[in-house]
Amino acid sequence: MTMTPSWLYYLCAVLTLAVAAYCLISLIVKVCTRRGSGWDIDIAHTFMGVSMAGMSVARWAFGATVMWEIIFAVLLTWFLARTLQSVRHHGVHLSHFLVHAAMSLAMLLMYRFPVRVRGGSPTGPMSLSSAASRLDPGLAFVLVLIFFASAILTLDSSARGASHHTPRGSTPATSASGGPGSPPIRLERRCGRAGGVRGLADAPRLEDASHVLLCVLMGFLLIVMI
Amino acid sequence: MELPDSTAPSAAGASRESGCDEHRAPRDLQRALLLIVATLWLLDAVLQIQPSMFAPGPGGLSGMLNSSAGANPGWIAHSITWNASIFYHHPVLTNTLCALVQFSIAFGIVSKRTCRPALALSVAWALGVWWFGEGLGAIFSGGATPLRGGPGGALFYVLLAVLLWPSEGSDRPFVAARSVGPKAAKVLWITAWALLALLAVLGSGRSPRALHDQVVRMSSGQPGWLAAIDRHVALLLLHDGTPLAFSFGVVCVVVAGAILLPPTLTRVALVLAIAVFASIWVATQNFGGILAGGATDPNSGPLVVVLALTYWPLTAARATPNDTAPDSVVVAEAT
Repeated sequence: MTMTPSWLYYLCAVLTLAVAAYCLISLIVKVCTRRGSGWDIDIAHTFMGVSMAGMSVARWAFGATVMWEIIFAVLLTWFLARTLQSVRHHGVHLSHFLVHAAMSLAMLLMYRFPVRVRGGSPTGPMSLSSAASRLDPGLAFVLVLIFFASAILTLDSSARGASHHTPRGSTPATSASGGPGSPPIRLERRCGRAGGVRGLADAPRLEDASHVLLCVLMGFLLIVMI
Repeated sequence: MELPDSTAPSAAGASRESGCDEHRAPRDLQRALLLIVATLWLLDAVLQIQPSMFAPGPGGLSGMLNSSAGANPGWIAHSITWNASIFYHHPVLTNTLCALVQFSIAFGIVSKRTCRPALALSVAWALGVWWFGEGLGAIFSGGATPLRGGPGGALFYVLLAVLLWPSEGSDRPFVAARSVGPKAAKVLWITAWALLALLAVLGSGRSPRALHDQVVRMSSGQPGWLAAIDRHVALLLLHDGTPLAFSFGVVCVVVAGAILLPPTLTRVALVLAIAVFASIWVATQNFGGILAGGATDPNSGPLVVVLALTYWPLTAARATPNDTAPDSVVVAEAT
């Protein structure tokens, strides 16, 4: 009995690669225009997108597992440090860096605890390996809830580009809008309005969409791996 | 290692545009609760696209739907098996459509423009799920104990959609009153909890053996720590199932009546209700079976907790900016 619709995993892989490609372009634009804001998120999203594509379609995977583990361990450490820095500067709040730390942790866990083979197809993530150890479903479920809440709150946030930049006192990736009737906030960008690739990479809505997509797809992979 | 403070320019900009934190309006509680409901719908949608849901035959969604026909009256069981046969013949198409509807509801609720249509869709969809997916919550088969999710998680989605329907009214005495008014909201609350109390002591809801067997069945495939909890709970239900069912029924009656009491006592009852249903969600509902794989929803536990939060008595100071009702027409706060 085939349980896996392979198109679902290909769709997941294509979407994550699209996110990775967008974030890579955004990163290049930021480097070229010497903007310091959100580059670490772009790097993280690029790595996450590429590695999740490899998890979804085994043939698209590359690189040793230990390499990805090191990458996501470094990202986890980085975002935890950024969270502490943000709390020190702006007081106690739920920084969106914390959500990205959770995402890095989830990626690390998915590599550390590969899934059991459970009747999956050769294209699915279940074909990654068959290990005796297993990611604790409770922890995976908590992470799923965090990612879905982050996706919903990012969409609801009145601060466009909230998933990449944190205004003081608000928690765009982890909090609701400022209240009814409050005007949409467009976060200040240094390069202003621009067309072409630069404009595309600088679109706050696309930044949010990439974050939302990654949250939903990561939640999906975690649920499949439970 | 020095970390660049890349958030500073954006932070400053955002603060300038949105105003100082001290002057920010209090968060719209109805909106916040709607976002929790949207998160649960998103969870449902992603659970719907698990690989096993696309599988044909008894191992897939059609088998799950068929099993809910159970001991329902003939014509209801027939309608459920008829629907299941459609899923049996077109598992990919039907399951994809189910997932798309749930994604639409989740993301639709978030957008203020599409919130009302999304909630209306959620009512229709949840009623359909309650009938065809949950077999009317097993009410007619006498197995609708709230300890296992009766009368069906889908009904709570309907109730929450009605109580959280976006409106510009007052948030007092509680958020649920904003859409339907305090009197109707209280009637809905009392009805819901009276039904829970009734279902707790009817049919197999008070049978120690039935409760024990249900928990044992559910524990299959759960992680070790949850299976250990299940073992203890199953033994407890086997020995004291009937007294526990009646105690739970009494708690439901107390919670139902508490909405008519002063705010402080209402809060105590709501904390009790939240604690009880949070425990039930873990111990007997096992998070809807999500941790064992193949679940379609998180069951009724989190929805009842959200329902309780919509009835949390609010102080005048916590009223939302939409709250324009004069103090004289709202219930006075003891605090």
